[in-house]
Amino acid sequence: MSDVRNREAHDAAEKAATYEWGFTSDIEQEFAPKGLSEDTVRFISGKKNEPEWMLDWRLKAYRKWLEMRAPDWAKMQVPPIDYQDAYYYAAPKKKIELASLDELDPEIRRTYEKLGIPIEEQKVLAGVAGARKVAVDAVFDSVSVATTFREELKKAGVIFLSISEAIREYPEMIRKWLGKVVPMHDNYFATLNSAVFSDGTFVYIPEGVRCPMELSTYFRINAANTGQFERTLIVADRGSYVSYLEGCTAPMRDENQLHAAVVELVALDDAEIKYSTVQNWYPGDSEGKGGIYNFVTKRALCQGRNSKVSWTQVETGSAITWKYPSCVLAGEGSVGEFYSVALTNNRQQADTGTKMIHLGKNSRSTIVSKGISAGRSDNTYRGLVRVGPTAENVRNFTQCDSLLLGDQCGAHTVPYIEVRNPTAQIEHEATTSKISEDQLFYAMSRGLSQEDAVALIVNGFAREVLKQLPMEFAVEAQKLLGISLEGSVG
Amino acid sequence: MLKIDNLHATIADKPILKGLDLSVNAGEIHAIMGPNGAGKSTLGYVLGGRAGYEVTEGAVTFDGKDLLDMGADERAAAGLFLGFQYPVEIPGVSNVQFLRTALNAQRRARGDEEMSAGDFLRLSRAQADALGMSMDMMKRPVNVGFSGGEKKRNEMVQMGILDPKLAILDETDSGLDIDALRVVGDGINRIMRKPDKAVLLITHYQRLLEIVEPDFVHVLAAGRIVRSGGAELALELEREGYGAIAA
Amino acid sequence: MSLLELPSNREERWRWSDLSALPEIAARAPSGQMPERLPWLDCATPGPRLLFVDGRLVADASEPGDVALGTVEAPVGEDALGRLVGSEGWTLRLGSGHAPLGLVQVIHVSTGAADHLPARIELDVDAQASIVETFLGDGWTNRLTRITLFKGARLMLSRRILTASGYVSLSDRVAVGEGASFVLTTLAGGGADTRFDGEVHLAGNAGFAEVGGALLARGRQRHDANLVIRHEQPNGQSRQVWRSVADDQATCSVAARVEVARGAQKTDGEQSLKGLLLSRTATINAKPELEIFADDVKCAHGATVGELNRDALFYLASRGIAPAEAKALLTASFVADAIERIGEEDVRTAFLDDANAWLAHGGAQS
Repeated sequence: MSDVRNREAHDAAEKAATYEWGFTSDIEQEFAPKGLSEDTVRFISGKKNEPEWMLDWRLKAYRKWLEMRAPDWAKMQVPPIDYQDAYYYAAPKKKIELASLDELDPEIRRTYEKLGIPIEEQKVLAGVAGARKVAVDAVFDSVSVATTFREELKKAGVIFLSISEAIREYPEMIRKWLGKVVPMHDNYFATLNSAVFSDGTFVYIPEGVRCPMELSTYFRINAANTGQFERTLIVADRGSYVSYLEGCTAPMRDENQLHAAVVELVALDDAEIKYSTVQNWYPGDSEGKGGIYNFVTKRALCQGRNSKVSWTQVETGSAITWKYPSCVLAGEGSVGEFYSVALTNNRQQADTGTKMIHLGKNSRSTIVSKGISAGRSDNTYRGLVRVGPTAENVRNFTQCDSLLLGDQCGAHTVPYIEVRNPTAQIEHEATTSKISEDQLFYAMSRGLSQEDAVALIVNGFAREVLKQLPMEFAVEAQKLLGISLEGSVG
Repeated sequence: MLKIDNLHATIADKPILKGLDLSVNAGEIHAIMGPNGAGKSTLGYVLGGRAGYEVTEGAVTFDGKDLLDMGADERAAAGLFLGFQYPVEIPGVSNVQFLRTALNAQRRARGDEEMSAGDFLRLSRAQADALGMSMDMMKRPVNVGFSGGEKKRNEMVQMGILDPKLAILDETDSGLDIDALRVVGDGINRIMRKPDKAVLLITHYQRLLEIVEPDFVHVLAAGRIVRSGGAELALELEREGYGAIAA
Repeated sequence: MSLLELPSNREERWRWSDLSALPEIAARAPSGQMPERLPWLDCATPGPRLLFVDGRLVADASEPGDVALGTVEAPVGEDALGRLVGSEGWTLRLGSGHAPLGLVQVIHVSTGAADHLPARIELDVDAQASIVETFLGDGWTNRLTRITLFKGARLMLSRRILTASGYVSLSDRVAVGEGASFVLTTLAGGGADTRFDGEVHLAGNAGFAEVGGALLARGRQRHDANLVIRHEQPNGQSRQVWRSVADDQATCSVAARVEVARGAQKTDGEQSLKGLLLSRTATINAKPELEIFADDVKCAHGATVGELNRDALFYLASRGIAPAEAKALLTASFVADAIERIGEEDVRTAFLDDANAWLAHGGAQS
């Protein structure tokens, strides 16, 4: 069964070789029965040897989900999704428990290589001496297959586990925080995720600890027709710091695949979480066929005094993106940041932005959004800045810039500002521009090809955001912007 | 090196150049002077390969190759440098990054190896120093927030780094005070006055020509070269104005 | 009243609205109580005058001139409140050679109940008109105005809402032709809640539209504006300048959108939405939205919400101005930004006086 499936996928991948990351690994997969029912939920929970409370939680979410309606898509055209025509669980058949990466299935290793995991981190994966330390938790379809550097992290007291393991090993912590930031019934896709999430990552940074390395997860959608329902929970205890990197790719498929992840972050007093994402899932072909539906709920609770969460995202992939990494700024003096580059080409649709909910006194937020539209794509910034009545001296600055390449695409800015406290200072600015003929000619007259000139100018446009990324991620992201625009100007 | 033969060009169907002939050999510096609206800047843009400038008749060869057949970037790779009258701002892209990308693109196109980051930094520091530009400015976004004089100086730094065969400098002297003019003029002499290089100076005034002494001076009026001569022609123009000579 | 199927907050366009008072007002009978004084404007070039009380023309207090009364042509449309207006109302149609009309003045008085009225304004090639509408009383005044401006026509429409209590809902559907100009300035300076719905289509090349105003709210008042300027052709220019001031438990909401259709190149659209909160319990909502389908455009918006600039207050204090006066002065200049767009000096002065009167009334409380 899976051999046939894989062969088909290979053929498809070869046919449409324009997507650099379009390949499928030959690893035997184990699937949950197709379709979604209470039995699917029980199957997933059973596969993971989950405790009873976890199954109950999932079932509650599933029943809630049945009563909910899919969201009304503002500016997007989303073909109806048949939730019964998908697999909700796919795991590499052999449960892999690895002491070191050398033992990792060479096929999976090759997959990482093909994924274009940043060079520095490939070195890490290859165990090159002197490489900077990055702990990688790879989520290969639905099961976390390997975590590295677990020992060193353990020494620091950092917990970095797949969420399935965490449910078994740290049940109190999971029960305390899971669903606290994104409640089970939050929205249609978050509720679905709560019912069927297959794996993901749990991170806990203890009080006063500066995480000794950057933590990193690579998501990858491998099997055909499997929804990917990741669950990430990061808790930064008082005075701690962690930087978390998330990179996502998916091989090429003819059918659309649903990805509905939930990410919850909690920052206690004086804690800081930096969460960076580079998303280059398969966007579909130039006619809009195939591609990932990326419907993600990401939210941070800045619960503690002077806590800080910074979201940085570079979104170039997926057929449809619908995500709003947000901050609930409950703690006094807490800080929320959102830096985003969203690039759409061909028929892609992206609707992304953030919500900054100011509840704490002296809380501050910064939003910098750079939207780049090309081809026949649509790119929307949608954001909310809300200041509660007791939140004194709130500051927000928002900058939304759109760059249009060509006259067949769209760029939209939909900011909501709701202020209930007179001491707030809220500023919002937005601009729309295109690459000027002057800039293009100037760069070309210095020897740059048109495509290089466009990539250079686009990177300059996105610089404010890119500079927020860790160095090697930034380099990858720059290349990605260039690649994603290939053929869009001419 | 550069041979222009009966060049006609239009902008939006409006004829600007109407049969221009010019030959520039290696080792020569030519000045093109003329009144406003004569077509001086158009000549620069046509040679640089800017979109919207349509050649309707005539031919241009550069080192024997058909220049008009090449894209702007290919012309640069072939060794042509256009100094802009109004250098363009590119937000978010640092000067260093811009130049390194450009230099390596040119080297790749010529089949040369790319320059290492260290070598490039040494080269750009030397060129910036020679033109009195700080490395701090080299790290700032291309021309963003530069004064008029700084932009022109930056053009010369770029020329020094890219090391072209032929430089076409469009009103490089405009907007410069007397000290900056000296720096820019010395830069041109230092970088370009060599037996295997040539310069086409497009200018309105004679003052730059006191520093960069031309071998030939041409008067462009109504889209054609109406008179050519030596350096003394520039002085005559300064004395008598364009009216008398272009008429 | 079965007609009243009101939209809920779940609908995006009504997100910040509160229409809960309308059924009760609609069930009332008019009191017939007229205000002591009708604020007709004295102006250099007087024109037609219309007085509507509870939606009916008072003929002996009106001089309609070129304004026609009776059935208003044009379908009613589907918007929630505009569809209530019926068919009897007023029409101003000016031909291309029409002599200047003088200032058209319309006063709407509501005596406690609900009334609905349609209007139609059509200016032919190069025709010009300036209209002032004033709203008074204490009921629910509901209006739908359809406006068509042909090539080169110019309309300046200025509205002041001085209604003491109740509700004022005004819907406008505007088509602006080639090179035509439409300027709508609204001052909400009474005690009633308001809702403004505007849809302006720049349907010809190089059309110009400016829609803005000042929303002043105190007590539990709510002002709610929802506007769209749609650029359908190239070279159009639009401005949306709104200034909101909210005191006590009041709420001001402005959702303003610029749409640029595919091919509407060289569009220049600008939005400036600013809100000023005068009390700890007031709310300002803003949604400056851009929807752009053309690449060669200049669209920018700015939005700010905050309180009066403390540095400026201190500066005024250091020059000997008392705090209350300084506050009033700065608030007045904040509001004036949106009103100073009015072209005729007489009208502008009257609107500024109204705004200052509102601010002076609030001065005692702060």
